[in-house]
Amino acid sequence: MGDLRKSSMRFFSDQNLCYADILPPSEIRARIEVAVLNFLRILASPTPAISDLPLINRRSSNCRTSKGLLAQVSCVFLSHSFCTRSLMRANTAKAFIRVWKVMEMCFGVLVQEKRVTQRELFYKLLCDSPDYFTSQLLVNRTIQDVVALLQCSRYSLGIMASSRGLVAGRLLLQEPNQEVVDCSECGLSGHAISGDLNRLETLILNTDARYIIVVEKHAIFQRLAEDRVFNQIPSILITAKGYPDIATRFLLHRLARAFPDLPILALVDWNPAGLAILCTFKFGSIGMGLEAYRYACNVKWLGLRGDDLEMIPEQSLVPLKPRDLQIAKSLMSSEVLQENYRRELEIMVQHGQRVEIEALYFHGYDYLGKYIAKKIVQANYI
Amino acid sequence: MEGKRSGSQQHCDLLRKIREFTRAIVEELSNGRSPTILIDRFRNYCTNPNANCCCSYDLSYGKEILTFRRESHVHRLDILLRVLLIVQQLLQESRHGSKRDIYYMHPCIFSEQSVVDQAINDICILMQCSRHNLNVVSVGNGLVMGWIRFLEGGRKFDCINCPNMAHPVPVQVEEVKDIVSVARFILIVEKESVFQRLANDQFCNANRCIVITGRGYPDIPTRRFLRLLIEKLCLPAYCLVDCDPYGFDILTTYRFGSLQMAYDAKYLRCPEVRWLGAFPSDSEKYCLPQQCLLPLTGKDKRKTESMLNRCYLQRDVPKWRSELELMLQRGVKFEIEALSVYSLSVLTKEYIPSKIKGGVHI
Repeated sequence: MGDLRKSSMRFFSDQNLCYADILPPSEIRARIEVAVLNFLRILASPTPAISDLPLINRRSSNCRTSKGLLAQVSCVFLSHSFCTRSLMRANTAKAFIRVWKVMEMCFGVLVQEKRVTQRELFYKLLCDSPDYFTSQLLVNRTIQDVVALLQCSRYSLGIMASSRGLVAGRLLLQEPNQEVVDCSECGLSGHAISGDLNRLETLILNTDARYIIVVEKHAIFQRLAEDRVFNQIPSILITAKGYPDIATRFLLHRLARAFPDLPILALVDWNPAGLAILCTFKFGSIGMGLEAYRYACNVKWLGLRGDDLEMIPEQSLVPLKPRDLQIAKSLMSSEVLQENYRRELEIMVQHGQRVEIEALYFHGYDYLGKYIAKKIVQANYI
Repeated sequence: MEGKRSGSQQHCDLLRKIREFTRAIVEELSNGRSPTILIDRFRNYCTNPNANCCCSYDLSYGKEILTFRRESHVHRLDILLRVLLIVQQLLQESRHGSKRDIYYMHPCIFSEQSVVDQAINDICILMQCSRHNLNVVSVGNGLVMGWIRFLEGGRKFDCINCPNMAHPVPVQVEEVKDIVSVARFILIVEKESVFQRLANDQFCNANRCIVITGRGYPDIPTRRFLRLLIEKLCLPAYCLVDCDPYGFDILTTYRFGSLQMAYDAKYLRCPEVRWLGAFPSDSEKYCLPQQCLLPLTGKDKRKTESMLNRCYLQRDVPKWRSELELMLQRGVKFEIEALSVYSLSVLTKEYIPSKIKGGVHI
């Protein structure tokens, strides 16, 4: 029976999920060595050839959704369609060399048992191969290529990431053999989420919360933490202070796995960018590369939504900027966007306006807490 | 310094001042006179090439006079009084709010954010207090790590346990108590990536110090916290910025405060801050490869030229001015990361320790 289920899921061969694994440095070094050896083997064979580098295709055409039958979460993943970097084609020759260069650098860093920031990597590559790396953007793209080639996370390659995330509320965190951190006693600023995924992996988590609230903006997080909203409604507050970074999504994913009964509710501004942030927490995004998908969580949209507009005074509605419209367009074209979100987005674009959560303060400072409580109690989230 | 009196005493004083201010206006109006409100003007530097300037950190250089006779003044006073009312509520309820929150309370009257910002500045000047005394706060953006332990509003920040782990700089600096430290110096870094490099290299294991960053232009909590540390611990403070106009601007913000917050410069500046690096001359001393020296753009050059005119440079830190002039002459800039091109640990194992030991800072 298990075999039948497995085989029906793999009915189409392109439904293989491709993940970026989090691996220890020794494993990454091994994968790089294997890539080098394979290349040399083919080069030195009786029919020598310069092999192409197959990278998981990071275009929307390679994006698939799987609507889980048993789970409610629909998942986005990158399938097995490859694009190649080849030395033999003029337009990808430089990109081909760049991938090897970055692998060489990362290998060197891992051998030293160190990590490197993206900026440092840029300067090293700039001095080592100035013809190939002329900007930080090229370096970042090439790093994503290496991630897609070796199918490992950027962090595993030895590239340091900062974390912007904060967490507060009814959560106890403990690193092995360290003191327990009580996130409800963390003051206004909350507890900073470490950028080190290995450390996040080994955290011991304990909670008596009933909800997880994902907050888009730092200012709102700070207000909710100051008002100790997480005591009135037993909850955990988490924010990435804007567009989510990997570490914050990683922690949210761990919380979702550890406490599967807790609904995850998002509080974002009513504008396309806010919805985009919600969707990134929910599905991941192509821009974040291969590793974005494994941290998808079943996030629900608490607010602000279209039906909240009646509470907002006229003057707090601000016109949408051209950038907002661009984001709306790209969200609309994503096949993973569910119907009710699509309707909300259409209303936003039709009205041509957006609203920040702070607009609710028109009704007084404590209104935000009451608003959240009311919506949660009514289970008014989609 | 604000910390000397207790918080609630300050609240009462401030509430009293607000009442008195309002009563004075009402009395004048009921006597048929137009009230005159004097708002001091402050600046912490001028760009007057003439050597004689009267810039000072505590004294104003003039007053602005607002009366009810001019319509633009009336509008400004209307906003000011409305914001004052909100501030009074914040103080009475012991709540904190941000400038943005205040804007959203009456978005129709406060047509834009800048209007609220000016009102808050005016109130601080009139009441002779700092912004946080009004319970107006912002989000905190700074990070700190190293050999320090303190309490903030009952919560313990124990960095000594794990000196290479970053903690956010506390937002309510007035609540910080019981600072305990075994550090020998404070290192201020401009960028988060440099902070990460120091953490990754476990800089605080080999060096007994406190590392702090504002992640770019330092916000008010970071500046206040730095000032508090320097005062309480009496430690030297060294600043590490990129060798470019923006790095220099950030350096001067730490040392002299910003023009925007000039009315509070007395409490936001740290005259003990010394420039550790990177100097334009470091590019030769540390054999930076040519590719790392990026040309100054037109915008960079204009910014540098305008900074060179700041009166405090010539007066207080002539050596800084010479280095800035050198940067402009050479026409190139470079980032701190360029030092790590050949070896990732050059910054933490050689550059910083040798500069501090050798006293190579200005």
